[in-house]
Amino acid sequence: MRALVVEDDPLLGDALAVGLRQRGYAVDWVRDGLAAEAALQAEPFAAVVLDLGLPRLSGLDLLRRRRAAGDTTPVLILTARDAVAERVQGLDAGADDYVVKPVDLDELAARLRALVRRGAGHASAVLALGELRLDAAAHTVHWRDAAVDLSPREFALLQELAQSAGRVLSRQQLEQRIYGWGEEVESNAIEVHVHHLRRKLDPSLIVTVRGAGYLLPKPA
Amino acid sequence: MSARSAPSLRARLSGLVLAAVGLLWLAALAASYGRARHELDELLDAHLAQAAALLVAQSSDDLDELARGHLPAADPDKPRLVLQLWDGGRLRLHSADAPDARLSPRTQGFDTRRVAGVDWRVFSSVQGEGSLVLQLAEPLAQRGHLARSVLWRLAWPLLLALPLIGLGVWLALGRGLRPLQRLAAAVAARAPLDATPLPELGAPREVLPLLQRLNALFARSAESLARERQFSGDASHELRTPIAAIRAQAQVAQGARDEVERRTALAQVIAGCDRITHLIEQLLVLARLDAGATAASATSAVAPLLQDVFAELAPAAAARGMALHAAAGDAALRLPLPPDLLRSVLRNLVENAVRYGRDGGAVCVEAGAAGGSLFLSVCDDGPGIPAEQRAAARRRFHRLPGQERSGAGLGLALVERIAEVSGATLSLDDAPAGRGLCVRLRWDAPATKR
Repeated sequence: MRALVVEDDPLLGDALAVGLRQRGYAVDWVRDGLAAEAALQAEPFAAVVLDLGLPRLSGLDLLRRRRAAGDTTPVLILTARDAVAERVQGLDAGADDYVVKPVDLDELAARLRALVRRGAGHASAVLALGELRLDAAAHTVHWRDAAVDLSPREFALLQELAQSAGRVLSRQQLEQRIYGWGEEVESNAIEVHVHHLRRKLDPSLIVTVRGAGYLLPKPA
Repeated sequence: MSARSAPSLRARLSGLVLAAVGLLWLAALAASYGRARHELDELLDAHLAQAAALLVAQSSDDLDELARGHLPAADPDKPRLVLQLWDGGRLRLHSADAPDARLSPRTQGFDTRRVAGVDWRVFSSVQGEGSLVLQLAEPLAQRGHLARSVLWRLAWPLLLALPLIGLGVWLALGRGLRPLQRLAAAVAARAPLDATPLPELGAPREVLPLLQRLNALFARSAESLARERQFSGDASHELRTPIAAIRAQAQVAQGARDEVERRTALAQVIAGCDRITHLIEQLLVLARLDAGATAASATSAVAPLLQDVFAELAPAAAARGMALHAAAGDAALRLPLPPDLLRSVLRNLVENAVRYGRDGGAVCVEAGAAGGSLFLSVCDDGPGIPAEQRAAARRRFHRLPGQERSGAGLGLALVERIAEVSGATLSLDDAPAGRGLCVRLRWDAPATKR
């Protein structure tokens, strides 16, 4: 899952980016409101961690603009402002969650997963598709009740396909969702990951739709 | 607020008004009494003379008869008029209540004498060919009695009126002082932190200055309260982010996937601790300055403090390839600040210059005396601050837009506050080299102490 961290404090921004990467996210980190807006317009993000006191464009203004533009990306506000009125204002501006600094990174990652899950219409943290069970919180995958060891990137790819089960995702879409900016992506990276997943799970699990992309079919 | 220790304005004013009215009345009464006494004397003298003239016209035989029979004392205790008729040295006849001694040695006109223990007003007149002297007299006590009764008649309505006037004054003052009571009630009804001004419209001229001072006081206290609130709000807000950063970096170190990531995160934890320490120091200095606790007359030498600050910031400067210069000058120069504040000024300004200057650039600190004033300037050759953003840069917790470097935005605000307290003026200018920022403090002549 790809997350956008918008935080102007270099020390905290760095910690959020690295910490979320440790927890399985592909993270892009920008330091001001305008850069965040540009990033949200250009790339698909599963969730946004948004600070409010930002240079150039405040977090609330950014949020209002994105919501007005029809962007429904889940947004978690992470701020030092703790007054109830400010929380209400943030949620009313279109935020899906409001967390006051400091925050535990595990909790932050869990809240982001919850936002993504709810956004995708799932009730549970565990995705069950036929004989595949994917636990987003524990980062574990079971195939026919046997645990399967996946690399973080393979897990992220499988998670994206599972969340959009029944829909075709292009190679570019998948790259955008599991890699952050500046991360080097080999031109055949997605093919390699799909190949590994097929080998570790079941060759027929992921369907290649020629010229379009990949598909994890919904179980009948 | 004990009633005993606080005299009532109303009672005081009532007392003063009554005393003034009473004194005026006494003066008026004394004047009327004197006037009445004088007129009474004239009237009674005329009466005495007229009666004497009538008697002189009588024959002495008639007088004999009068004295004997028809001139009795109307009241034996209080004779109205007494008569003596002298023939040479002999008292030829006299009215019954007249004394035996001659009333007056005069033969003509008015006289006032004490004869036989009684004060008399005497009118003497020569009768006939000149051997007979008629003396007609009236006791002065009778006149005094008359005058006093006139006085009493004048005075008693006034005495009766005085308490009524007192009551009227009391009530009128109560009414007149109502604006004060309303003011007191309005002040009493205020919430402790209420800062809305009391309405000045319609306030009497005497109360208006008090009201204006009160409103100014409310405004001032509201301002300082707002500043305090803003400050504590800002401070807690500003402390949260570095704390969140330290916590998150520590957690990153815990979950590090390799040694490099762990070391980097731990280094960030330490950097975060240093930053928050510095921030807390700045906050403490600011809080102390806001509380007004500074030694006004202290001075300190610049050179040793600057050396310390340079030593502290040398690693940060070296990391960016920057050079720190102290302009040659008077090595013994002292500036009018206590050492801890001067150190804080130097540290914050040099740190800002190192932080926001240019990689490979230079920071130059200069202190000296010029034209009777003392100055301190810290210049860098970095991007500077655009003129329109300089005022904002001095605000507490303000960080300039697009600023990538860490900092809470307290340094310049702190320096400005120290400048304010020590009577210096702070200015932000373009550096002489044409690029970069020069922060300059100037102490003008009165504050100059060496």
